[in-house]
Amino acid sequence: MIPTLWLASYPKSGNTWFRILVANLWSNGDKPVDINQIDSTDTIASGRNPFDQSLLIDSTLLTMDEIDRLRPAAYAFAAGERPLADTGLPIRFVKTHDAYTLTDWGEPLMAGARGAAGALLFVRDPRDVAASFAHHMRCSIDAAIDFMAREDFCFDSATDRIDRQFRQRLLGWSGFAESWLDQQDVPVHLVRYEDMLADTFAIMRAALAFAGVEADPTRLDRAIAFASIDELQRQEAASGFREAPRQVRSFFRRGAAGGWRDELTSKQIARVERDHGAMMGRLGYNRSTR
Amino acid sequence: MDLPGLIPGNSEQPIDVTIRRQLVPMTLDAAEAVGPTWQRAGNRFLLRIPNIARFLLEEGRSIAFEAEDAATPQDISVFLSGSVFGILLHQRNHLVLHASAVLAGGKAVLFCGVSGAGKSTLAAALVERGYPLVADDQCAIELGEDGIPHTHADGRLLRLWERSIAELGLDSRRGDPMRNRLRKFYVHPATASDVPVAVGAIYVLGEVRDSQQPRVERPNVVDATKLIAANAYRPLLVRRLGQREAYFQGGAKIATTAGIFRLRRPLGFDRVAATIAALEEHWASIGLRNGAS
Repeated sequence: MIPTLWLASYPKSGNTWFRILVANLWSNGDKPVDINQIDSTDTIASGRNPFDQSLLIDSTLLTMDEIDRLRPAAYAFAAGERPLADTGLPIRFVKTHDAYTLTDWGEPLMAGARGAAGALLFVRDPRDVAASFAHHMRCSIDAAIDFMAREDFCFDSATDRIDRQFRQRLLGWSGFAESWLDQQDVPVHLVRYEDMLADTFAIMRAALAFAGVEADPTRLDRAIAFASIDELQRQEAASGFREAPRQVRSFFRRGAAGGWRDELTSKQIARVERDHGAMMGRLGYNRSTR
Repeated sequence: MDLPGLIPGNSEQPIDVTIRRQLVPMTLDAAEAVGPTWQRAGNRFLLRIPNIARFLLEEGRSIAFEAEDAATPQDISVFLSGSVFGILLHQRNHLVLHASAVLAGGKAVLFCGVSGAGKSTLAAALVERGYPLVADDQCAIELGEDGIPHTHADGRLLRLWERSIAELGLDSRRGDPMRNRLRKFYVHPATASDVPVAVGAIYVLGEVRDSQQPRVERPNVVDATKLIAANAYRPLLVRRLGQREAYFQGGAKIATTAGIFRLRRPLGFDRVAATIAALEEHWASIGLRNGAS
């Protein structure tokens, strides 16, 4: 059995970049992995099809709460099975944008220790998230800041149509990080996007060591080069990125830290810092206002 | 129990499958495979949908069910006539695809894809254009003695979400909700087929982005054959029931007699007409001319 690790993040915080780094590390090829063929990781935890396929139930006929009650069993089963795709990886990495919540039956949605051996939690300065999230959602920065403040904000929660992913409760930017940091079921390793940018090598080695894997330095160096923002943007411009939302032209936008200084107004900066001051402090992001 | 959408049986024909309400155990003795909601022991298969019902399928010939908690007959019947029938068809060694189908040029044209891929919406749009509905969501294929693949009509109802119904202008055909708590409804097709028909073509649904035009691609026979197993209604059962070889053989047969294609098209209701135009052009090129009848 291959251990499972959640790659948990609020959107736009380096989750996909990490997955591409891992894909390049294990492909060990002489050219960058195609970003549309990242088979190094399992599909996102909220995906509908893997659930239907392992439970043999048509989930379109279940309510969102009924689905949530069954998700822990699906995750526990997947963690104990052979991965669907043979990735050659020693770890089954599964991305998720679900906050760590309990179902209405009181069970951890992510199945606690039965669902995974641990989690990598990716966080990013919420002021940078705001600008990137606005681009991703094709909304104004003010609207993105609203979403980040709302504890009831969910992905894929429409009830008049079917989405290919289940409802994901994000609990807001602060609530997301808090839910993963404060749960006691699985160990969490925190990865700050800014640190990953500043010293990708060291942060990757530490994250992989948490996963119980020792990365070969030469291969890791090459993987980092193959997953550079320039390369990702080049590939996306040439052939698109299938994980990008429809009609979003550039998923890989800037890949920078501190862009908020010229992208957010002082009013917007003050609002993010007011909304998320406590969690920013906890994660080591300094406020520019008081 | 009311099973919406099924074709009434003929009392002179022998009974094929028995469905009974009776006590159903929580577990199977000597289960050789255990999933999150299911267990299998030899020819017996147990599916449990918590708070809805437990279903025991035996030898592909009988289904017993026991309701759980406050489940209504409606709750039970949608799963019985969907997920559970799908398992039964696998158990009966049919080639069962996750597909919806319409009749074009006298033959069945199947659209395969996972839930949410747009099978039912595309089928519904084609039905509105005069192509009779053959099946929605599941298509069982049999290779007759002549080696020609046939598919059975599964019933006479489409199953669509409120948004699709509105976007396709089908409000007047909307029937009951599948479950009272869901905004997914039975929709009465304008025209439907209820007899087995030869398979004319199978399309696996895919997507193109932005302003690209819909296109049909023909994979080589090996890839086409693999697509059949990959688009089984429940690939897990194909593996667990040791049917992979049968799917590859069936897939090869279908690839040579009917044709297996990929249909890549833009999503969005405003692009459905363009997709239908591309399909009609393709049907003309493969001899499924003048489809609607």
